[in-house]
Amino acid sequence: MSTLPSEQKSPDVWIKTKDSDLYINPLPVRIWHWLNALGFVALILTGTQIRYVALFNIMSFETAVKTHNWVAFAVIANYFVWLGFYLFSDKITVYHPELNMKKFFDKAFKQIIYYSYGIFRGAKSPHKVLPYDKFNPMQSITYQIVMMLVVPVQFMTGLMMWDVKRFETPIAMLGGLHVIDTVHVMIYIFFISFTMIHAYMGALGQTPVTHFREMFTGYEEPHE
Amino acid sequence: MVRSTSGDTGKVLAVLTVFFICCMMFSGVLLALPAEEAETAVTPAAEAPVTETPEAEQAVPATEPGTDQEDSGNDLASRKAEALKQNSKCLKCHNREKTKLLEDGKEMSLLVPKEPYIESAHGAISCISCHRAIGKREKHPSKSTNISISTEREYSVEMNESCRKCHRQKYTQYKGSVHSALVAQGNKKAPVCSSCHNPHAPVSMDNYRPETGLPCKNCHENIFNAYSASVHGQARINGNTIRDSHIQAPICSDCHHSHEVTALAIGDVLRTTCINCHENVTLLHNQWLPNAGTHLDIVSCAVCHAPFAKRKFDLHLYDNKAGVPLAMEEGEVPIQEQLQAIADEGGDGDPLEIWKARGGLGREGQVTDISLRSRMEVMSGVAAHQIASKSFAVRTCESCHEPGWRQKQNVTLSITTPDGRRQSFDADRDVLGNVGAINSISDFYKLGGNKNKFLDILVLLSLAAGIAVPVGHFTLGKMIKEYLARGEK
Repeated sequence: MSTLPSEQKSPDVWIKTKDSDLYINPLPVRIWHWLNALGFVALILTGTQIRYVALFNIMSFETAVKTHNWVAFAVIANYFVWLGFYLFSDKITVYHPELNMKKFFDKAFKQIIYYSYGIFRGAKSPHKVLPYDKFNPMQSITYQIVMMLVVPVQFMTGLMMWDVKRFETPIAMLGGLHVIDTVHVMIYIFFISFTMIHAYMGALGQTPVTHFREMFTGYEEPHE
Repeated sequence: MVRSTSGDTGKVLAVLTVFFICCMMFSGVLLALPAEEAETAVTPAAEAPVTETPEAEQAVPATEPGTDQEDSGNDLASRKAEALKQNSKCLKCHNREKTKLLEDGKEMSLLVPKEPYIESAHGAISCISCHRAIGKREKHPSKSTNISISTEREYSVEMNESCRKCHRQKYTQYKGSVHSALVAQGNKKAPVCSSCHNPHAPVSMDNYRPETGLPCKNCHENIFNAYSASVHGQARINGNTIRDSHIQAPICSDCHHSHEVTALAIGDVLRTTCINCHENVTLLHNQWLPNAGTHLDIVSCAVCHAPFAKRKFDLHLYDNKAGVPLAMEEGEVPIQEQLQAIADEGGDGDPLEIWKARGGLGREGQVTDISLRSRMEVMSGVAAHQIASKSFAVRTCESCHEPGWRQKQNVTLSITTPDGRRQSFDADRDVLGNVGAINSISDFYKLGGNKNKFLDILVLLSLAAGIAVPVGHFTLGKMIKEYLARGEK
């Protein structure tokens, strides 16, 4: 994905050397990421089962609702692993390595060109992955919106619907249950395509499994 | 002049003496009479029905013959003996089959069987305590002095007032009931006191065998039959007690009360009534039912516990500021007519929103913070009584949470009428899925409320994008690679 300083290393050497420059995804982030991934898939599947009862029958409605609720609480708890890590470590800069809008849009444009054309020609990504500059501009803006806005809104709306009676007042303040419910469904709709496209883009590494492997080990693999 | 003068003085003295003696005798008679007869004798307006004023309520002595208070045995026996002396003249004729021709051409029985009457609690009071109009007539019976009665029903309603005097508490409860409200509206079948209690041979309702359903069954036979076959009716008949706590299964009056009879379908009254006995119901539902509190709020108990009952969505107007269902007041145009008039005008928009924008009910100082709320109810009063054993209760969520289920159900709009009943009328069942009505229906959870086609299309589009973007990108890449490869060659 990015140009690595250690071009001479063989692909498996990085595991042994533990080059700190290549250590992109620390353990808390990896734990959060995979639990979150599993949780999202479970929530989308159970959510779909709840919404489309009788269209298919993976599980009963009761099981779907209960599973959805439990998984949702696990995902909410897991969110704080992510939030805590970035709030209490200096890694938060991965989202804003440089607060320069001109550079940001310039890099974003280059990144779009890369994914639209360059990648097919075998060009290298214009973004070089570093421990403190992990995301390309497209990832950075998307993940920030998702993690700081979309996901919390989904948590809040889901939580309110988990116990409508308990959250009667905030529900009324926010426009009623119908609004809350619709927002929750709209975000669910967004996450259906988001999850699928995210998984596909994860397969756009050096090999289809490179980024997946990286997300397990934490180390960026050197490009050939 | 002197003789003449002394003669006048003598006449005056004679008149005064006679007058004095008459007063003494009259006072003696008054003192000897029971209190209510004295009141009759000195109150010319007593024939007219007693007007209902707080003062009149207070004027009634607390302890009179035949009050709700317990009489001591000797006292009752002596009063019965005294009353019998006064009543013997009446019973002499009325102990026989006699009828009176009413103004409507029908005949009314005048028979008062003597033995049951004198043995009953009312045997301790005189006939004219209640039949004041007759008590005032000097010559009874007589064609010229007999009272005229238009219909038997009208006479029963008129005589109902006489019960208040002794049975003040029960009468007040009755006046607050749906039965009394119906009578006031002119309903010909709604019960008055004598519909349930024979005034000439009253017996304590404790002596009724509850399983017979009487007297409620006289009017509510279908409902009583449903109750009899229900888990409550069967438990009562079999003498079962609830969880060894020696509480017997309910009869009609346990839920509806015997005098302040209410329509339980209103608001949370029904649920509260159920919880009165089934007190751990919230806890039990919380153990397995997601959003149990909301379910208990918006789903009538019978919807699940009368598993074969037809169900409906009942929308009701809710006063958000007061926190109670909106009730119509006397003289207001029924809400359905108001909404229908708006709908008939045509034009876009939700009739309810337009109605609210125009000031709602238009009462002075009335806030128009009104919205629609919904409850799942059973279709009929009969169904509400068909409560089955717990093991038959609906437990599968899919029985409601199923696509299209909502569309199969009836939808009604209801409002509490001035007499305290809930009046329902059919509503367009599409209202729940109508985006145009979103403001009206946003304040409550509607089953499948967001299951509209627009969102379904978005789901499909999102799924399509999730597939199309990777497939398209992959295919595009392949094509570009092939193109570039061909170019290199």
